[in-house]
Amino acid sequence: MKENISSILKSVSKPGRYSGGEYGQIIKDKESVKARFAFCFPDTYEIGMSNLGMRILYGVLNEEEDVWCERVYNPWIDMQDKMREHNIPLTACESGDPLTSFDMIGFTLQYEMSYTNVLNMLELAHIPLRASERDDSMPIVIGGGPCAYNPEPVADFFDLFNIGEGEEMLPELCRLYIKMKEDGSYTKEAYLHEAARSIVGIYVPSLYEVTYNPDGTVKAYTPKYDDVPKTVQKRIISDMDKAYFPQKVVMPYIETVHDRIMLEVFRGCIRGCRFCQAGIIYRPVREKSAETLNEQAKCLFESTGYDEISLTSLSISDYTQLEKLTTNLLEWTDENMVSLSLPSLRVDSFTKELMDKIATVRSSSLTFAPEAGTQRLRDVINKNVREDDLLRAVSVAFDAGKNAVKLYFMNGLPTETYEDIEGIATLASHVIDAYYRCEGRNRAKKPQVTISVSCFIPKPFTPFQWEAQDTLEELAEKQEYLGSKITDRKIRYTYHDAKVSRIEAVLARGDRRLADALELACREGFKFDAWDECFDYDRWISVFERTGVDPAFYANRAFGLDEVLPWDVIDCGVTKSFLRRERDRAYAESTTPHCREKCSGCGANKLGGKGTCCPNAKVN
Amino acid sequence: MLSECKSKLTEKKEWLARLELVPPKHVRLKFCKVGTLQYISHLDLQRAFNRILVRACIPVWYTQGFNPHIKLVFSTPLSVGSQSVCEYLDIRLSRDISFEEIKRRLNAEMTDEFYILDAYTPENDFSQIAYASYEIRIHTAGASDELADRVKNALTAAPINMIKKGKAGEREIDIVPLIKSVDVAYDGENKEILIKTVLSASSSQYLNPEMLISALKERTEILSGNPTAEYYSIMRTELKKEDMSEFF
Repeated sequence: MKENISSILKSVSKPGRYSGGEYGQIIKDKESVKARFAFCFPDTYEIGMSNLGMRILYGVLNEEEDVWCERVYNPWIDMQDKMREHNIPLTACESGDPLTSFDMIGFTLQYEMSYTNVLNMLELAHIPLRASERDDSMPIVIGGGPCAYNPEPVADFFDLFNIGEGEEMLPELCRLYIKMKEDGSYTKEAYLHEAARSIVGIYVPSLYEVTYNPDGTVKAYTPKYDDVPKTVQKRIISDMDKAYFPQKVVMPYIETVHDRIMLEVFRGCIRGCRFCQAGIIYRPVREKSAETLNEQAKCLFESTGYDEISLTSLSISDYTQLEKLTTNLLEWTDENMVSLSLPSLRVDSFTKELMDKIATVRSSSLTFAPEAGTQRLRDVINKNVREDDLLRAVSVAFDAGKNAVKLYFMNGLPTETYEDIEGIATLASHVIDAYYRCEGRNRAKKPQVTISVSCFIPKPFTPFQWEAQDTLEELAEKQEYLGSKITDRKIRYTYHDAKVSRIEAVLARGDRRLADALELACREGFKFDAWDECFDYDRWISVFERTGVDPAFYANRAFGLDEVLPWDVIDCGVTKSFLRRERDRAYAESTTPHCREKCSGCGANKLGGKGTCCPNAKVN
Repeated sequence: MLSECKSKLTEKKEWLARLELVPPKHVRLKFCKVGTLQYISHLDLQRAFNRILVRACIPVWYTQGFNPHIKLVFSTPLSVGSQSVCEYLDIRLSRDISFEEIKRRLNAEMTDEFYILDAYTPENDFSQIAYASYEIRIHTAGASDELADRVKNALTAAPINMIKKGKAGEREIDIVPLIKSVDVAYDGENKEILIKTVLSASSSQYLNPEMLISALKERTEILSGNPTAEYYSIMRTELKKEDMSEFF
């Protein structure tokens, strides 16, 4: 199989993306396994190989002796052109076998803009796009990951979705598949019904009928069978210390985005920023102990030889044992030439001590996310960060000789005014001022503040899920206004393309009626829409027009507070009434204390979980 | 589910500490890089070796500068798309460890397409490399004795002017003087054209074997059809010194 594409591999860029053969890849005898699973990441190899979830699930599935899980990434455009020209189907890295020879195909849905890649990959694999067009001879197509919390825009293309954490659910799905194949009861229909009935967290879209109101909003979701749950509750792993941990990983030869040890410290977030989907859907907070983590980090260092450990989680400084963990890690990382990096720092917990620890071997760049320019708006979004905190944090960095910081903000947040936007420029200039007040500053260098401004996107399962997104014109005007307020050349200003954010909003809050548009997009060759060089807004609008989709209905409309939402069929643990309360508090410019300070009764504790955020949780 | 993970890092470090300290000791590693590894670039290979040496717990010597790193010196780099059974890498050790132990430890961290063939004390340096031998196999439907003859003619009729891309831009060179020898045969069993050739491989006069393929594509019809039916492989088999003796 591999030999006869060698001429093609020699003619494309970065052939190491497609050749497989990495140290640590798992090879099994395909004749003796009972289920073959193709784990697909709908983006390039470099991005997919950097995904921690995929590392975990690849490992967990291959722990099952009779299951063989392989990896699949979306080939870059030059390779796709060659594949189409010579009728070569999409294949998996390990065996080089086409996807049609697999029992199950799983896609991880990490961001909405990868949806076109999902369809693109199915098409490259010569697999019919719609679940209804796939007969029993075709693989079962599974979706999971954060975007599966509103799976509706892509529901017609999937046989089933995993809602929540997959470490237990995926092996259960494979076991059920093997059992039904062995006892002869397998048909695709019977399997999907049984999975939906017996495995918590499984959503089979074809088992629910959706009806709509005359105004286009969703009327109801109705299960087709009585034994299928009315709402699908997400799965969590309750004890993170006992959760499956991949001690060995596949080592990429070519450079990937996160080519380092990723140490998952905890899941969930205590903060509850009101725009943030991750902060809600990964609740409740579950930590690993510092002892477990130190041991796991050592094991990964031994099995990979990486020279960097990144502590990953949503807000690393909220880890209750951070001091202990970093101290334990530094006992052995320094002498082994391993550096530590912390990707998600909050300004209110950034200290000199912490910075010294992460800068021991190599300096790492400093980025903070105040998200909004004024205290009023930061209160609205519940960021709970004060200007003093930011200035103190940057001063620590400046005093230690650093001269550059990057600040993340958002435009278009609910209730935003031009005063708030000007506040971004003011805040940046206060950071510059703080530099010149620092005695320990690097006097040979000028300060450099980069402000990177994205556009607010209302996301399902957030207190802002009902909000209208600003129109393109409003966002463009705001971006331009902020530019006019920045006069200091020491401040570098970058902003996201509002057009991408608008399409993302459509795909994030969409329903099943987007299927025609996505299918047409695929047929017209849409792919890699998360990549600037591939994204074409006008073509998206054309596709929407031709399939009768009004993007404003999904992006720029305020959803009714009593409206049935497309994602109401999913239960993420956090209740709608909590989200509603938080929305009210946002409009009252009132903050909510974080989970350790005071339980706000979000509901996620009903899912259980050891070492959760609030031991004295309110019961709803 | 399995979750127990017990690190052996402390034991490994104790074992290392018991090894005798030595002044930086040079070791040459001969390795092969075949199969899917042909698609991995030289730069990526260097990064891979860094990690392999760390995983294998080899007592490598680190440079003593501000940013300590492992010193790796490779012989003539192999271009992407070529395989080799004769690649060389010089490393330095800070503690004494036997060659067998080095080989055993490294191979435990490598694959069956990329592994150590030998470890020993180098007796010469890479500047003595003058030539490299290659075996090029061309799988093509029209393979025959007659085609083999035409391939031979195509690769020996001077001049063969080819565009060479270098750091200073593109320039045209005649590659014939860089071809030390070339034998072409028809391998009836595999229905392939087999080219055995020795090409200049010194740092100043390096001829990439891909150039021969390019020349053949220009001068014959081979490899012009469907790339899934017609393909070729390049295997570097031996490095040679100026006097044509084997470099090792």
